[in-house]
Amino acid sequence: MDAQLIVIIAGGLLVAAIIGSLVFLHGHNGRFTFDTKTGTRPRALEGEGNTTAVSSKGRFKLLTAGVGAVFAAIFAKLWSMQMVSSDYYDKLAEQNQTRTVTTPAPRGRILDRNGVAIVDNRPALAVVAYRDLAEDTVTVRHLANVLGMPYVAVLRKIQDNTEGAQSPHTIATDVRRSTVAYIQEHQEQFPGVSIAERTERAYPYGSLACHVVGYTGTVTQEQLKAQEELDEDQKAGTITYQSGDVVGQAGVEYYYESLLQGIRGEQTVKVNAGGNVTAQAGAVPAEPGSDIRLTIDIKIQQACEEGLRLGMETAQRVGDPGNAAACVCIDCTNGEILGMASAPAFEPSAFVGGISSDLWNELNKEDGDHPLINRVIAGSYPSASTIKPLSAMAGIEYGVYTADMTSNCAGWWTGLGEANGKWCWLHAGHGTRDLETGIRDSCDAVFYDLGKNFYYDKENPEGLQEMFRRFGLGSTTGVDLIGEAEGRVPDAAWKESYFKDWSSDERAWNAGDSTNIAIGQGDILVTPIQMALAYCGIAMNGVEWRPHLLLSAVSRDGEGDAYEFAPEKRLTAELKHKDALTVAQNGLHRMIYEESSSVARQFQSLPVQVAGKTGTGEKTGESLYGWFITYAPFEDPKYVIASIVEQGGFGSVCALPVVRTVLGAIYDCPSEIDFLDTTDQSR
Amino acid sequence: MSQDSLKRVNKRMVSNKSTLRQNVNVPLFAAWAGLILYGAFTIWTASLTIADASFTRQLFGIALGSVLAFICWRSDFSGLASMTTVLLVIDLIVLFSPYFPGLSYRAKGMTGWIKIPLIGLTFQPIELAKLITIFYMASLGAQYNGRIDDVREYVKLCGMLLIPFGGALAAGDLGSGLVVFSSGAVIIMMSGPRKEWVLCTIALLIGFVSIMLAADSVLDGLLGHDVLLKEYQMNRLLVFINPDADTSGAGYNLKQSLIAVGSGGFFGKGIGNASQAGEGFLPEAHTDFVFALLSEEFGFLGAMLLLALYATLIISTIRVAHRSDSLFLQLVCCGIVGMWTFQLLEEVGMCIGLMPITGIPLPFISFGSSSMLMQCAAFGIVQSIWRSHGKTL
Repeated sequence: MDAQLIVIIAGGLLVAAIIGSLVFLHGHNGRFTFDTKTGTRPRALEGEGNTTAVSSKGRFKLLTAGVGAVFAAIFAKLWSMQMVSSDYYDKLAEQNQTRTVTTPAPRGRILDRNGVAIVDNRPALAVVAYRDLAEDTVTVRHLANVLGMPYVAVLRKIQDNTEGAQSPHTIATDVRRSTVAYIQEHQEQFPGVSIAERTERAYPYGSLACHVVGYTGTVTQEQLKAQEELDEDQKAGTITYQSGDVVGQAGVEYYYESLLQGIRGEQTVKVNAGGNVTAQAGAVPAEPGSDIRLTIDIKIQQACEEGLRLGMETAQRVGDPGNAAACVCIDCTNGEILGMASAPAFEPSAFVGGISSDLWNELNKEDGDHPLINRVIAGSYPSASTIKPLSAMAGIEYGVYTADMTSNCAGWWTGLGEANGKWCWLHAGHGTRDLETGIRDSCDAVFYDLGKNFYYDKENPEGLQEMFRRFGLGSTTGVDLIGEAEGRVPDAAWKESYFKDWSSDERAWNAGDSTNIAIGQGDILVTPIQMALAYCGIAMNGVEWRPHLLLSAVSRDGEGDAYEFAPEKRLTAELKHKDALTVAQNGLHRMIYEESSSVARQFQSLPVQVAGKTGTGEKTGESLYGWFITYAPFEDPKYVIASIVEQGGFGSVCALPVVRTVLGAIYDCPSEIDFLDTTDQSR
Repeated sequence: MSQDSLKRVNKRMVSNKSTLRQNVNVPLFAAWAGLILYGAFTIWTASLTIADASFTRQLFGIALGSVLAFICWRSDFSGLASMTTVLLVIDLIVLFSPYFPGLSYRAKGMTGWIKIPLIGLTFQPIELAKLITIFYMASLGAQYNGRIDDVREYVKLCGMLLIPFGGALAAGDLGSGLVVFSSGAVIIMMSGPRKEWVLCTIALLIGFVSIMLAADSVLDGLLGHDVLLKEYQMNRLLVFINPDADTSGAGYNLKQSLIAVGSGGFFGKGIGNASQAGEGFLPEAHTDFVFALLSEEFGFLGAMLLLALYATLIISTIRVAHRSDSLFLQLVCCGIVGMWTFQLLEEVGMCIGLMPITGIPLPFISFGSSSMLMQCAAFGIVQSIWRSHGKTL
């Protein structure tokens, strides 16, 4: 169509020229005739004193000058290009032919505390291509067919522009050997396509500790953007990411990204205009990221996950849904997390090389079990009876319910009048109980009285909440993971603002609220790790160490540790009345061995004395949430294990198997009694 | 008869040695021979890395061209002066021959080629048309005896040039059209119009081109498709102004060419070491961008040698024209000077960013036989004019 247009334009020009000249000449009687009969012979050789020779001399000078000007211009430009700026063009020519290919560095491995790899690396073959390939539709289609990928997907990978035009773009990783061989054998059909060696994440233990280690993925556009927005100071010492880089997206992979990420290598190659490599030139090898050692002990981790499985199974066998659970095992002497499990789990290997959107949607669907969530740190639950030792300590500390006081439990508690009567979980009633036996038997009546006393106490009406906070509830623990929930310690101010659309009467703090939180119900929310930490505090006489997963970073030569995590105190709960701790500890100890024979049987086989507390939380419209938190040994506490089974029924039924399995792994003493026999429904 | 001519006649009579010099303009011949050899050598180096650059085919073109040059040298062209109409008709036939059924030859997206029946050789008729246009314009210009007094006559002459120019554009070749235009313009200027008219014409031309460029984008925008200039032509003009504007599309060729020339430096990179041409970064390295190839391999020195050869060729031609007694033949020489100078300016200029990119060959150097043949013919014509001078007496 271009040629046609030119023809039309030129034709128009032609016609215009002819018509124009004819019109112009109309009636003119000039010398011009289209053909002269006299040939070249000048008709007026010497007419008017203006001979050809004379006039042409000047014209020839002009012509020569014109030609000279052309030569001068060319000369000047050539001089400036080839003599003055040739270095500049040399550099450009060099740049033309060289391409710096970055070679991705393997990420550091993630090991357990004994050096066993939880996350390892394995070699993988990747198909890579330069961006120019996008213009070659035929090759792209062919490549898409060979790789079994949609054409558009291949094209998008090639055109992805942030990886830098000079670097090859990864189109597919983990390509089958046969496909690789096909591409290599038919290299001429795939100009600009090459095979690169990559390392990919490998998970020798499958989904083990998946919520701890997290998963990797290609760096997102948002992350790249965030990186661009950093100023120079912040950028110093950090890794500059390119699109296509694999980075940690969750768990330890994310939190310790800077340790795990290696430094890209660079390889300079000579290429021709087609983008095909013609020669190698110089290389800086990639530097792998540091291996890191976690505080996790594979043996305990496996026990945590096995325990969750058993706990959920037990719950299901007695007819509860029990479809999700969490368990954490912390060394209370230093905050090291020895095991951390959340169920349901996921396969981190599904994220290698990019997770399919179907699977991603499945993992994140609204009405699903949300397996990507780490329930240990992100699950918010009513604490239920597990909070009772803290309530008891608050009563003693503030003097509103001292260790000498007792309550009489008749099953139906009417401390706030008959109209506001409440059941103790044991409807038959416990009889007379003090704080220590109240903890042991989880007697609600004792704690209703305690909560009521706080409500009517003039000096410390919120002493309960104060004590909960003193042990770290209501705030994040500072564990080295993201996505930790804060939990909630409700008080008058919170209720006032939370229900701001309600009438002032309805949102005023009342005695019922106090009695509710005293037994861990109502609006209180805790995470399993918060509760574990609170029990660390009880076991360690008020000292809580910040929970952490990183033990050390292994130095790059593999010898020794380059960096060791220094444990730090999270908080120290100061208590004026030291006997408060004793009451709580004894109560917990007695709960294990005295409250229920079937519970006691489970723990008697262990070589150490255990202290602990069950809990059974209520959520409207759902089955009971079963808790069990223990620490051991009782005399010299080291291990704190907290577990919860969502909608699993009584804690002594569904959560007991979890802690017992973990303790069994720690002390190499597995339970010999079927957990289904432990059906005493104690709260 | 002028004094000058008498002297020359006497001189000729005195020495028999000058018989050769009388028949052959030696500097012109030397420059031509130098260019042919230089060109052949350059194409040979190109053939080492570029598959399309067939050295034997180029040698064949040179041989054929030399024969044609010899024939032209032995011919007398003064008779063409009175055949204006015939020349115009032939010119247009030649220009439009690629559209004739049976002649048209299209392959690999090339346009403007014909396949000569029976022989089966392909040829670019525009190259022949350049020469015919020169004769046509010279025959017109010669009718004024070296002085155009009437502005209407001048305008008419200019209008006559637009016919072959339009024809060349119609054939779809802007670059060659400009060559036709330039050689014709030189002939008109040498035909003796007043300087003011010429200056006015140049001013008008510049004005017209500017308006057209401005109108082009407006019209394209209004009508939604290319109206005056094709988009790639517009892009070429834009990148000519700013080569970095688009380094992958239209600007790529120019940028690669600049790099090739500039990185050649003083001595050049040597035979076969030209990475720009050899590794395929420089497109059309043996044809349109042959000067870039040559400059990369042989550097500033090589480029200067080439310019020196061209300077000798062109200046010698001007001298031949100057000495010729026939106004018609003078104008033919001037047209050839215009053609060579413009092709040099355009071909070299586009390689070094002085001119917008068009696809025309560098005379005697670029790969391709059509150009080689016709340029050799032009050389033969100039030699013939040299041989014929004085004979009209």
